[in-house]
Amino acid sequence: MGTTRWLGAVAGVGLLGTVVALVSRPLEGRPVGEVEAAVDSQVLLGRQLVISHACGDCHGGMNNPEATGWLAGLTDTLQQFRVGPFITRPRNLTPDNTTGLGRFSERQIFNALRYGLRPGETPDVEITGTAPGVGNFPEIPKYLAVPMPWPSWRHMSDEELRAIAAYLKRGLKPVVNKVEDSDGPPDFWASEYTEEKIGKYPAAPYPTANEQ
Amino acid sequence: MSPWSAAPLFAALASSSLVEVARGQLASAAAPAPATARSVELSLSASPARLILKAGVPTPVFSYNGTVPGPTLDLREGDNVTIRFRNELPVATTVHWHGFHLPFESDGSPFHPVAPGETYEYRFTVPPGTAGTYWYHPHPDHSTGAQVARGLYGAIIVRAADDPLAALPEQVLILSDNRLTPEGEIDFPDPHSMHGRRDRENGREGELLLVNGKVLPTLTIRSGEVQRWRVINASAGRSYRLALAGQTLLHVGSDGGLFERPVEVSELLVSPSERVEFLVRGSGAPGSSTALQALPYDRYVPQTRPENWNEVRNLATLEYTSEPPMTPPPLPATLRKVEPIDTTLATATRVIVLGQGLINGKVMDMSRVDVSTTVGATEIWQVENVVGMDHPFHLHGFRFQVLDRNGVPEPFLSWKDMVNVPKHETVRFIVTYDDFPGKWMFHCHILDHEDHGMMGVLEIRGDPQVAR
Repeated sequence: MGTTRWLGAVAGVGLLGTVVALVSRPLEGRPVGEVEAAVDSQVLLGRQLVISHACGDCHGGMNNPEATGWLAGLTDTLQQFRVGPFITRPRNLTPDNTTGLGRFSERQIFNALRYGLRPGETPDVEITGTAPGVGNFPEIPKYLAVPMPWPSWRHMSDEELRAIAAYLKRGLKPVVNKVEDSDGPPDFWASEYTEEKIGKYPAAPYPTANEQ
Repeated sequence: MSPWSAAPLFAALASSSLVEVARGQLASAAAPAPATARSVELSLSASPARLILKAGVPTPVFSYNGTVPGPTLDLREGDNVTIRFRNELPVATTVHWHGFHLPFESDGSPFHPVAPGETYEYRFTVPPGTAGTYWYHPHPDHSTGAQVARGLYGAIIVRAADDPLAALPEQVLILSDNRLTPEGEIDFPDPHSMHGRRDRENGREGELLLVNGKVLPTLTIRSGEVQRWRVINASAGRSYRLALAGQTLLHVGSDGGLFERPVEVSELLVSPSERVEFLVRGSGAPGSSTALQALPYDRYVPQTRPENWNEVRNLATLEYTSEPPMTPPPLPATLRKVEPIDTTLATATRVIVLGQGLINGKVMDMSRVDVSTTVGATEIWQVENVVGMDHPFHLHGFRFQVLDRNGVPEPFLSWKDMVNVPKHETVRFIVTYDDFPGKWMFHCHILDHEDHGMMGVLEIRGDPQVAR
């Protein structure tokens, strides 16, 4: 899978410039000439994390915010993953309302990164548990498609995850790019994201038996 | 014989004062509405019944007046209607008069449950200009899907005195689907099972495709004849992409009645709870036959898309009689005037974001008001679907006009109370709350979604807005 992923991503980037006619809309409510001043430190931290955590490798643009299709999601089938019988299609992370993240709150995006919960299918609330049925964690959770690496990224700090959400919502221009949902099992990967398989959150205290 | 075609065992319950159009049969042409308003008083009961759905095995169902579907209500514009409803079920229920403009107390929404053994009087006047095809079904909190699946649904026809198509013979076709256990009972799987999760995701679908409660019924038409078909989608989740093999259709109406003029189409998408009216022109030869078909339509997310979603399914057979062709009747070029709602009167745009099981990121809470406005206001609703499954959207109590779909202006005027919002698309419509303060539901009409909270409350306060 890993080889497919990287080959797909690299080949996809090569085609990005010629493949899509993406329609962009200007950010509203930002005075011309004051763009730099309007960018807050939270957005800049989010930008740094997005670039350094390879979001663009799958969602478009590799690690180059200047690239066409930056975080706009699948624009060529070479960007998609085959996971067993399923195909995962990286979604549009720009703040377009219906094809991207525009109508999701920063809290919903935070919950996606921390808990893997699909933002369009999980109530916009602060999650109070860490496992299905605990607190208000959905009893039947629906998770982001494999191989989105949220089980690793959830261990970032609250500040860092909120910064990523802020960058995606407020630091990007919306791009209209309708990406078909990823395939997956009807349990939306719940059987793959058990504590036995992905470990605990928060992680076990240091040091574990493997650490010194 | 279809398992759903058997007569109810409790035939005594079938007695009804309702005016019933023979379902699946040619109904007589509508009588012209009188100049004076009628008072129509009807009795309706919901009660358990048993149908022979599987050879030798009685299946427990719920019925209106002992029949599935329930009796068809044949009303006229201007009728003053009183329906005395009795709940003989073991569970609370309501009767929602889907698409009707009526007082809040008579809407049959979850705000007015009728407990087992209790009665409720629904009263309303059928407004002029609302002739069309409607339906009635239960709408209790969290269990609409289960009650409809058990058999609680029926058609309502509202006729106009000046109906330009009144002379045409008509058929009322209620589309539904269902699923039985091996023991012949209506199949409701454990909600935590994979099957249960698919139902919750897609809306409960079944392999039994029913027209007026029958599997693959035969309809008849004479060569040259023109029939008016009124189709109601009473399915919990299934959309029907309707086509009549080898023929085009003349689309003449939608939820709230006739368009201004007919539209020639090769197919029609009817999402849950939508209604369509179209004319079938008997262009086939005497003795030939064709089929009313459901063409594939992908409304699903990939994770729960049924394996056979892309199969063409026959819903009914249309047989041409052996009679010699008749001369087709002349058809009107115009049907009626549909006045557009003036968009300059709109005082607000309501953005409604449809997630999966969520509206604006929230699950239904009946104690919460999601949209608040006043009687007399005209508003635009911008309904955005942000997930990968279609959601058919319904507003109670007030008909509306679609302005555009994903930015494309609606090609012609029509009155709607349902509109399908496809995956990752936006639909805008305009509505005037011209009367009836109260709390009105808006929701996805995939019944499993509605039951799990994909619903909101529009409160219309009684202080009329100052005219602009």
